[in-house]
Amino acid sequence: MCRISDLSLFYNWLRLTALCIFIFSLSGCAATKSVQETAKSFPSHHEKEIERNKFPVARGEDVIGRLAVIRLEKGDTLPDIARHFSLGINAISAANPGVDVWVPEAGERIMLPLSFILPDTPRKGIVVNLATLRLFQYKEDGTSLLVTTYPVGVGTNERPTPTGRMHVARKAVRPTWRVPASIAEDHRKKGDNLPAVVPPGPENPLGEYALYLSKSGYLIHGTNKPASIGLTATNGCLRLYPENVKTLFDDTPVKTPVLIVNQPYLIGQRNGVLYLEAHAPTEESDALELEKLYKKLRTIEKKARRTLDWKKVKEAQAEARGIPVPIFELSRGSEKEAAKPIEVEHPETLYGKPEIPALKLEAWYVLAADVRDKIEAQRIAAIINHQGPPIPARVFPKSDSYRVIAGPFNDRSEAKKAAKRLKIDLEIDGIVIEPVKVN
Amino acid sequence: MKKSLFLITMMLVLPTLMIGCATTGELQKVQAEQKMIDAKADQALKDAQAAKAAADAANVKAAETSGRAESAIKAAEEREKAAAEKERIADEKAKKADDAFHKSMKK
Repeated sequence: MCRISDLSLFYNWLRLTALCIFIFSLSGCAATKSVQETAKSFPSHHEKEIERNKFPVARGEDVIGRLAVIRLEKGDTLPDIARHFSLGINAISAANPGVDVWVPEAGERIMLPLSFILPDTPRKGIVVNLATLRLFQYKEDGTSLLVTTYPVGVGTNERPTPTGRMHVARKAVRPTWRVPASIAEDHRKKGDNLPAVVPPGPENPLGEYALYLSKSGYLIHGTNKPASIGLTATNGCLRLYPENVKTLFDDTPVKTPVLIVNQPYLIGQRNGVLYLEAHAPTEESDALELEKLYKKLRTIEKKARRTLDWKKVKEAQAEARGIPVPIFELSRGSEKEAAKPIEVEHPETLYGKPEIPALKLEAWYVLAADVRDKIEAQRIAAIINHQGPPIPARVFPKSDSYRVIAGPFNDRSEAKKAAKRLKIDLEIDGIVIEPVKVN
Repeated sequence: MKKSLFLITMMLVLPTLMIGCATTGELQKVQAEQKMIDAKADQALKDAQAAKAAADAANVKAAETSGRAESAIKAAEEREKAAAEKERIADEKAKKADDAFHKSMKK
């Protein structure tokens, strides 16, 4: 009798334990679900999934690509991130106002402006928009249209890239650079005597590929200064990243039409939403281009029989962040999902990031700067690293200052040559350091 | 007669003596009261002096504090100015470095 009652007590305990386990497992499921939901609301995409250059163009639509955000890591610079994602330095700077180009904070989330409004031109051949510093190459793919886009470097205010219609006259692999008299004179004034002809190689500013335009003296070419993509730094030519110019070269037959335009304000639609992409205009073109933009917008307003949010338009225009901003729903209840940026994982290595060789006692170095501020030292080192051809540089912390040391160099002449380049290009008075004598 | 005269004299002297005694007692009482008041006055004076000293000390402290606060405000302003100047110099240096970089990117 006693054993029977013990047994029933044991079964009751067993039931209670089973009930407790069941309840705990239920709460466990709920917790897992909540984590999954959190992850779902912040999707992180592998960087290789992010399309940078090639996009299909849907009929009647003008906006391509998608905005993305990335969290910076220690040692990143905006030019390195820009190159990895096929963006120009102008685009990444404008999209992230206030972020230090050379020494951004690790952990900072920055916008990758990988969405573009196509220029208001016929979608044929090559179109270059000087205001956005981007090249678009259109290709028919059966019944659909494909566009490949690359960032470019363009001419300065003094020597601007000409606008208008032209075509690719000829192409050359490993081109020779015949130094124009104006450039030779500029260099001579700085104490740098250029040769009349620069053969292919790391010193050649045309890079490995060149497409000669029908407008004499103007080329689309590669570069030995990749950090200049997205800047107004050429003598009128169009520069591309070395990896981009190779693809463009292979995809572009001679006689391809080339149209160069200057459109700082772009409007276009996707999924029934009207977008505005505003870029900083040049002073002389601003008033005229604004007038054109407002005229277009008023026509759209009239057609839709609804009032546009002009405050939003003016804000986007004033900010000039170079990213498509939704300003108007052309049809009510349009999908606005595409406007949301996607999170991208930081790649293990950034493509094209300048490499800094290991230190060697027996090597020569150049002391480029000795400053009290760490950020200033890091900025100088980063700028030296991004010269073309690259000059390796690093920061040495001292007790009360930070030294920027360029090198290692194999011999005195290499070190002296680097010091000369620092002087001519960056106005830095470097001091050549002899190797450490090891007994 | 003599007896009567003595009686009259006694009648006059006794009350006079009695009055005199009463006056001395009262005087002593008054004097004692005066002492007490004096003591109170001393205490009040002491208290007043102490209060004044405390008030003076508080005033001095307040003045000191106010002075210190002013100095602190001034120091904070100076620091703010110095920080703004440092930031301006850093911005200028950054801009100069960027300009130099931009120039170095030309052919």
